Amino acid sequence: MSLKPSSPHSSRRAGLSGEFFVPAVLALITLVYLISAIQLGPPMKAGNMTASFFPIATAIIMLIALSCAMIHALRGRARASAESSSIDAESHDEIPSGRQYAGLSLGAIGVVVLTAGYLLAFDLIGYFVATFVYVLLLCCLFGGGFRDKWLTKLIAAAAITLAGYLLFEVVFQVRLPTLWSQ
Amino acid sequence: MDAISGLLGGFAALANPETLLYMIGGFLIGTFFGAVPGLTSVLAIALLLPLTYSLDVTTALVACASIFMAGMCSGSITATTINIPGAPSSMMTALEGYPMQQRGEGAKALGHAALGSMIGGSLGALLLMVMAPLAADVALLIRTPGKFSLIAFALIVIIISQRGSITKGMIATLFGVMIATIGIDVVQPLARFTFGTGVLVQGIDMMPLIIGTFAISELLVQADSRSTRTVDPSMIKAAKVRRRDFIPPLSEVREIGALRYLKSAVIGYAVGILPGAGGSMAAFVSYAESMRSSKHPERYGKGNPEGIAAAECANNSMCGGAFVPMLTFGIPGDPTTAIVLGVLVINGLQPGPQFMTQQLDLIAPMFASLFVSALILIPLTLYLLGPYFLKIVSIRRDVLYSSIAIVALVGSYVATYSTFQMALALVFGVLAYYLRKQKYPTVCLLLGFVLGPSLEEYCRRALSINDGNPLIFFTSPDSLFFIALTAVFFYFMVIRKPKDRGLGTPPA
Repeated sequence: MSLKPSSPHSSRRAGLSGEFFVPAVLALITLVYLISAIQLGPPMKAGNMTASFFPIATAIIMLIALSCAMIHALRGRARASAESSSIDAESHDEIPSGRQYAGLSLGAIGVVVLTAGYLLAFDLIGYFVATFVYVLLLCCLFGGGFRDKWLTKLIAAAAITLAGYLLFEVVFQVRLPTLWSQ
Repeated sequence: MDAISGLLGGFAALANPETLLYMIGGFLIGTFFGAVPGLTSVLAIALLLPLTYSLDVTTALVACASIFMAGMCSGSITATTINIPGAPSSMMTALEGYPMQQRGEGAKALGHAALGSMIGGSLGALLLMVMAPLAADVALLIRTPGKFSLIAFALIVIIISQRGSITKGMIATLFGVMIATIGIDVVQPLARFTFGTGVLVQGIDMMPLIIGTFAISELLVQADSRSTRTVDPSMIKAAKVRRRDFIPPLSEVREIGALRYLKSAVIGYAVGILPGAGGSMAAFVSYAESMRSSKHPERYGKGNPEGIAAAECANNSMCGGAFVPMLTFGIPGDPTTAIVLGVLVINGLQPGPQFMTQQLDLIAPMFASLFVSALILIPLTLYLLGPYFLKIVSIRRDVLYSSIAIVALVGSYVATYSTFQMALALVFGVLAYYLRKQKYPTVCLLLGFVLGPSLEEYCRRALSINDGNPLIFFTSPDSLFFIALTAVFFYFMVIRKPKDRGLGTPPA
């Protein structure tokens, strides 16, 4: 979701790489899965299905479906580039799409990095410190930076951390890791 | 007689203060999640799932049922007043409600939406109580080959109901099936796809998949937006809702007619039984039928209370229908019932034909919760909180999504007290984000994951009792019935697509 709406042509071009990239990555995963399934043994033994039959069959159907999706994406790209060349000749006023890295927006990358850091810190420094810092940083990410209403963000981070503790540890009696229990 | 007393016992269970508190709390949470654009009742139930480890199963089911019902009706307020459906199931309501709001009749629209939700939800819950035991009796007749064909039918219908993206639906479903095969084989004690790691031997738990697919991916999607509030406050100032707005004029209710309400409720219930359809499809089909049978079809799309009544009645009635296949066959047809199935599995319960008779005392309060939520909580909540809804839905995104992140991640930790589950939730979240961006239906991923193991198990068992001969699927009458049913659905949904009379593509 970008702030400015992009034109149909720009969105088509922006989404095209992902349209091919997603099934291509899934195809790679499926190939690894298929090889592992074949290594489990023959699909049939004494007229009965073995543990490898179903995964092999699933992987083959999946690869066929993924091939269709990739071909569809390639055909779409050919069509889109043909259309865009004619449009580019007429006008150059398209709105640039937001910056993306490996198909992730900067905001999404921020959430992934922060969450990965939180997972590492959760066991190491305990629930309170890790959660407070994580929530504060998330508040900055979703709330337009730290400078804007920083006191509210600090209070919100403390309140959410405390509310999470009360919900899980006190109400539902889940033992959360703490700094002093390490 | 036992069934009737068991069902009445469900209502008595709601008198327990703790259960009642969870029902009301669940309803309020569902209302909030249904009303805020971008959030759904599915996300609310997904966030509740980890908490069910510490909850009594009956209480958890009661809360799930009230969240489900609330999520279906609350989206109509923002759909009508500011033309932003809080939930996808309220899209048809926006078509009629917003034009009414623009010509100063928003009050009537809200009233009709509330009444339709109340009638539809109550009738759907009643139909569930009546039909589920009958469906359970029918389910007893289905043998192993038939069970395979039934699950295959469910998966195929889920895929082909993704209109315009059947290939993507198929890919997502098969990917879910593949994830489900990780761990111990369903028939033999053999570990599959562990890649030498011990943590995968037990397989992938449903919890990180659900949390990742519905909560973490939503965080990633929302991180793309730069607005600081969920709804622009300037839009809210323009639309004011008063308490009396929720009472529709009697003359218009008469004009809509009892038959239309009843027909919409039955349509919604029937659509709910179908795998993969959901509230938006129920609202669409009911709206289209209402328009077809109306004396004034030309008024549709310009602010017609009939359309609102039909859509809201159907999407709430769908809640009752959605539970039938899950409880009687163990086959969830939508993400909500898949998560409810997860609640049952976490508590060591496996739905099936005998489940309705053997565990009626556990699930009867859930039926009662659906009924009470529709009949009492919908009008009561809308009447008391309705005027404040627009203020509630415009909240700070930083506070909202940080809270969701904590409940989701710490919730994932609850299952095994290990950060591995949290990491899995993140991995599935990123995966679901990519899939969502490319319009792959993540609902299919979840349903493939849930139904995959049963599909494999029944397939292998059926073949082993017939010496590996696949003809058993065509010679067994129950199996043949479901294969024929699959062919019928395929014909009507793919080959001969239904005409939509200018309504556009039905929502997936």
